[in-house]
Amino acid sequence: MLNKDKLFVEVGSYQNNKYGNMVCGDCVLLKKCVGENRNIAVLSDGLGSGVKANVLSTMTASMAMNFRVRHEPIIRTVKTIMKTLPVDSVRNISYSTFTIVDVDNNGEAKIVEFDNPPLLLVRNGKIHQFPTSDTIIRKEGLTNGLDERRIKLSDVTLKKEDRLVFYSDGVSQSGIGNMDMPFGWEENIYQFIEDIIEKNPYISARELSKRIVKQAELNDILKPKDDTSCVIMYVREPRRLLICTGPPFSESKDKYLAEIVSSYRGKKIVCGGTTSQILSRELNREITVDIDDVVAGLPPKSTMEGIDLMTEGIITLGALGEILKAGMPKDLNGQGPAWDMFRMILDADIIDLVVGTKINVAHQDPTLPVELEIRRNVVKNIAALLEEKFMKDVRLQFI
Amino acid sequence: MLNVRICVGTYCYITGGEELAKLKKNLPEEIRDKVEIIGSACLGCHDMEGVARPPYAKVGDVLIQECTEDKLLDEIYRQLNMERK
Ligand code: FES
Repeated sequence: MLNKDKLFVEVGSYQNNKYGNMVCGDCVLLKKCVGENRNIAVLSDGLGSGVKANVLSTMTASMAMNFRVRHEPIIRTVKTIMKTLPVDSVRNISYSTFTIVDVDNNGEAKIVEFDNPPLLLVRNGKIHQFPTSDTIIRKEGLTNGLDERRIKLSDVTLKKEDRLVFYSDGVSQSGIGNMDMPFGWEENIYQFIEDIIEKNPYISARELSKRIVKQAELNDILKPKDDTSCVIMYVREPRRLLICTGPPFSESKDKYLAEIVSSYRGKKIVCGGTTSQILSRELNREITVDIDDVVAGLPPKSTMEGIDLMTEGIITLGALGEILKAGMPKDLNGQGPAWDMFRMILDADIIDLVVGTKINVAHQDPTLPVELEIRRNVVKNIAALLEEKFMKDVRLQFI
Repeated sequence: MLNVRICVGTYCYITGGEELAKLKKNLPEEIRDKVEIIGSACLGCHDMEGVARPPYAKVGDVLIQECTEDKLLDEIYRQLNMERK
């Protein structure tokens, strides 16, 4: 059983475009259905590459995702996709592959695969076989007769530390024609994954998917011959992160805030000068501001024993909001406190946001050169982005 | 050592604290080993609301409001009993 408070599905993906292409012909969609605690991931590879492929795969993936979210039967989903896709005038087929994975609260994974390289279950560090069944779906009406699709369906019950790994054929066919892999990377990828996990048993989905796509890029001597995408769902003990910002509405709650911080089991971030000072007073720990560290136009970080990151409040949170809004960046080398925070967020599964609601009178000064947004709104915005774009389990508490 | 606390909290930072924070690097040679520049997360602006204006800094126990690099250096030299050139 996948207990909400004990286990968590971390979902990570990474993509590369075919060399020289501006858009990716693969489409990856990830969604967390918050109420039901399900995680859905869809990968679609459109015929060819470039914009046309991108349109095909995006349409396929979004239909698959929306149908899945509403629990539509899979046969109907596939038929609708077949019916809706524009028909390629040259090959006379409407074509895009897809893999749909839906993992629920109890670790039950429903997997639907059509024409992508086979999805892998990695268990105990090894590629693990699991039963699948085939279904044939027919659609009539195309000029040359019958359109027939063979769909692979499987149900797997996931255990802690299991990983589901799936990718587009740009990955499995990378390196085609190289001396050491004349037919592409293909099954050798299994060994590659097992080796990485052996060395790094708790590697995150995000990191592993990136390593796989990067290796595919190397196989193609840094010029990917096709769009390459990899998605991983990793069942693990959730990593927790606490972010506290803002003084509590009433001073009588200062102790409570300090209590939350000191008893929290996970990483801790504190944003805000006043908040830091409340903690310094309540916990009797000193704050050291690293004044040499003004990076990226943001106020410097501070340090306090037991706190992993301590920053200024509203400006830094605003900057974090901007980073989140831009979506998953290609690399994570950004500098400054907002980026430090972002990196810690990426490593976390459950994020507890504790927001003090006392209005800082000083911030209401109309003569200030910059407008300072109300903390509540900034944080709500961040929480929404974390859930929608980064699939985090966010718990928001106002005090 | 003379303690100089520069506030880099939100309120002070956006009203000029960002510039003040650079003082550490721009400190004149002659006083460099006589003062210690320390950052502060907030010097208590809420209590000073309506009484004084940001940005704030503290030289020893003396609070400076609407602080500029110039004002800060003046006060440092004064407390060090040195002539500012
Ligand atoms: S932010 Fe500078 S005194 Fe509060």
